[in-house]
Amino acid sequence: MYFYIILEKRRVKKMIWFEMKKIFLKRVNQVVLLVLLAIVLVGSFLTIRDVKCYREDGTMISGLSAARQLRKEKNKWQGRLTEEVIQQAVAENQAVNASAESEELMLAGRQNLEDIRELVNMGFSKIGEYDYYVCDQIAVDQAESLYEKRLSNLKEEIIGTGQQEKVAFSKKEKDFLIQQYENLKTPLYYEYMEGWKALLDSQYLPTLMIITIVIIGFLISGIFSDEFQLKADSIFFSTKLGRNRAVGAKIKAGFLAITAVYWSVMLLFSVIVLGVLGFGGAGCMIQTGGNWYSMYNITYFQDWLLSMCGGYVANLFILMLAMLISAKTRSTVVAITIPFALSCAPMFLGRVSMLTELMNLFPDMLLRISKFLDVFLVCEIGGKVFGLYFVLIPVYLLLSLMLTPVLYYGYRKSEVK
Amino acid sequence: MELNITNLTKEFSGMQAVNHLNITMGSGVYGLLGVNGAGKTTLMRMLCTLLRPTSGEITCDGKEIFAMDGEYRKLLGYLPQDFGFYPEFTVEDYLHYIATIKGLRPIVAQKRVKEMIGAVGLKKAAHKKMKKLSGGMKRRAGIAQAMLNDPKILILDEPTAGLDPNERIRFRNLISELAEERLVLLSTHIVSDVEYIANEILLMRDGELVHRGTAEELISSMQQQVWKCYINKNEVGHLLKKYKISNMKSDAQGVEVRIISEEKPIPNAIFEEANLEDVFLYYFGEKAGEENDMV
Repeated sequence: MYFYIILEKRRVKKMIWFEMKKIFLKRVNQVVLLVLLAIVLVGSFLTIRDVKCYREDGTMISGLSAARQLRKEKNKWQGRLTEEVIQQAVAENQAVNASAESEELMLAGRQNLEDIRELVNMGFSKIGEYDYYVCDQIAVDQAESLYEKRLSNLKEEIIGTGQQEKVAFSKKEKDFLIQQYENLKTPLYYEYMEGWKALLDSQYLPTLMIITIVIIGFLISGIFSDEFQLKADSIFFSTKLGRNRAVGAKIKAGFLAITAVYWSVMLLFSVIVLGVLGFGGAGCMIQTGGNWYSMYNITYFQDWLLSMCGGYVANLFILMLAMLISAKTRSTVVAITIPFALSCAPMFLGRVSMLTELMNLFPDMLLRISKFLDVFLVCEIGGKVFGLYFVLIPVYLLLSLMLTPVLYYGYRKSEVK
Repeated sequence: MELNITNLTKEFSGMQAVNHLNITMGSGVYGLLGVNGAGKTTLMRMLCTLLRPTSGEITCDGKEIFAMDGEYRKLLGYLPQDFGFYPEFTVEDYLHYIATIKGLRPIVAQKRVKEMIGAVGLKKAAHKKMKKLSGGMKRRAGIAQAMLNDPKILILDEPTAGLDPNERIRFRNLISELAEERLVLLSTHIVSDVEYIANEILLMRDGELVHRGTAEELISSMQQQVWKCYINKNEVGHLLKKYKISNMKSDAQGVEVRIISEEKPIPNAIFEEANLEDVFLYYFGEKAGEENDMV
């Protein structure tokens, strides 16, 4: 019995190996993989280049040298952003403004406290009415109420003022959001975090995720339909394992290809960006960066994990669906359009106001998690309220798992006409 | 090993491709003859479990083949008419893959792949990509994959289609060698393919079995006789309208024609021994003329 199990495992492994060979030996797939690699490298370069800072003489530098200088300067503020520290930063900001001889020298002089300056700007501006100059204008004493101001702004945004109660959220949703905001532990911890900000708060990551899913679509769309298109179906389905284990091996190969390519791309992109810009700041709450009003009380590292896992689940679901379409329609071309349609179309359809809420439930939302962490997207299920992503991730993971038997039983029953 | 086909019918959008077919086959080589659209490929696909019958059943040693599932396909070797493969695989890779999905143990697969590559004469091309092989070599790779599991039932659909005469002869000889102690069903509309190697010939028309027997039995089943005569070219049109003509050979003076007729078609006609091509024409006369590649 034990020998039989070992033998079966070896056989399935071999089938998966051959299925992977079918995928990766295809010339078109090799070309799209090279294109993807080029996109990762160019994307990494552009992401790194976006980190900029001023030298003491007011000239601007970018990339690795900028990151080095910023790390040195910003880590001056490393530690808890207590009321005293914030007041000190506001005072220093205003002192630099007053003493600088030119705008470049002013920006160079205060770039070490730019992140804190941004917190103050966001904290003391009303939501949706961001004012870049707030930090330059408020009284230093006033700055101590930053965290209270955050909470009061959020309450005003969610609940409304006494006379005008907001109706966008139900009572339970409001309670949930307020609870989340109150749960944020302050004072926030701060350190240099340009690497994480560049990685997660820029447009490059969601764009790369969309490109990756479209390219993996090219790779896996032929797994099932190619048997028909190459007319290899007759032999495949007339073999002993052609209607059971060989079909399973195809699904496993698809799953492996999705997993291997997705994680390789994401890890490569992350390692290059963080390797150059620095891993520091992983433990900082995302509110410390550009997500001041986020209801997700997570660190940048947790944001990375959430974004990566969400993106992976979206990849799994969309690409499993593409494989199902490939098996059902027997057309590689039709299957290739699925990842493209599902990752791009909802973005545009979401701009139609009556479709916005519906489009928020589409899997493409999981490709842009890091860009939507500060949007009030909640979901009420069975009287309980959740952040949208904590619902979408398990739901689409479950749907991906549910597609597997549909794909398996659908394909094994295929007839060769 | 016995395959029993009972009342087998397959309909495609109201058209009966196979119509209440009843055949029993044991070990030996069976040649399935018929014009295009006779239902040969549909029948073979049902025998390979690629298509489910609309009604009727196929049993293998008394067990329904679709219920047997993998246990039946384990006995099967199939070379389809449109032999598809994975173009980027080498011959060796391709055969290893097929051996794996045929459920062969790795050690057995290793041995069989080597043996079959040798048997079909593809040793030198073993590391060539499938897409680089010539038509004949692809067919040989096709027969190699069909034989990997040493099948008890070997089904070959138009195995010689598109091959040049040399390749066709080589292929026929190869099939004869492989045919021992198994059931080989060979479908073709090339009469000479089955004439030499089939123990029994099944004639199919419009999804039905018209006749079955050895080549001699089929020849003697003809109700008409074969005549050879030499005529003027201007008489050809008249004869074509009146009789089934199995062969014509022109020269400067006239035309030598081979006519199938109950009675002597013209006074100077000479009686000839009938062959399987005459049988083909006799049974499938109207359509046989449409077949360009009938030998």
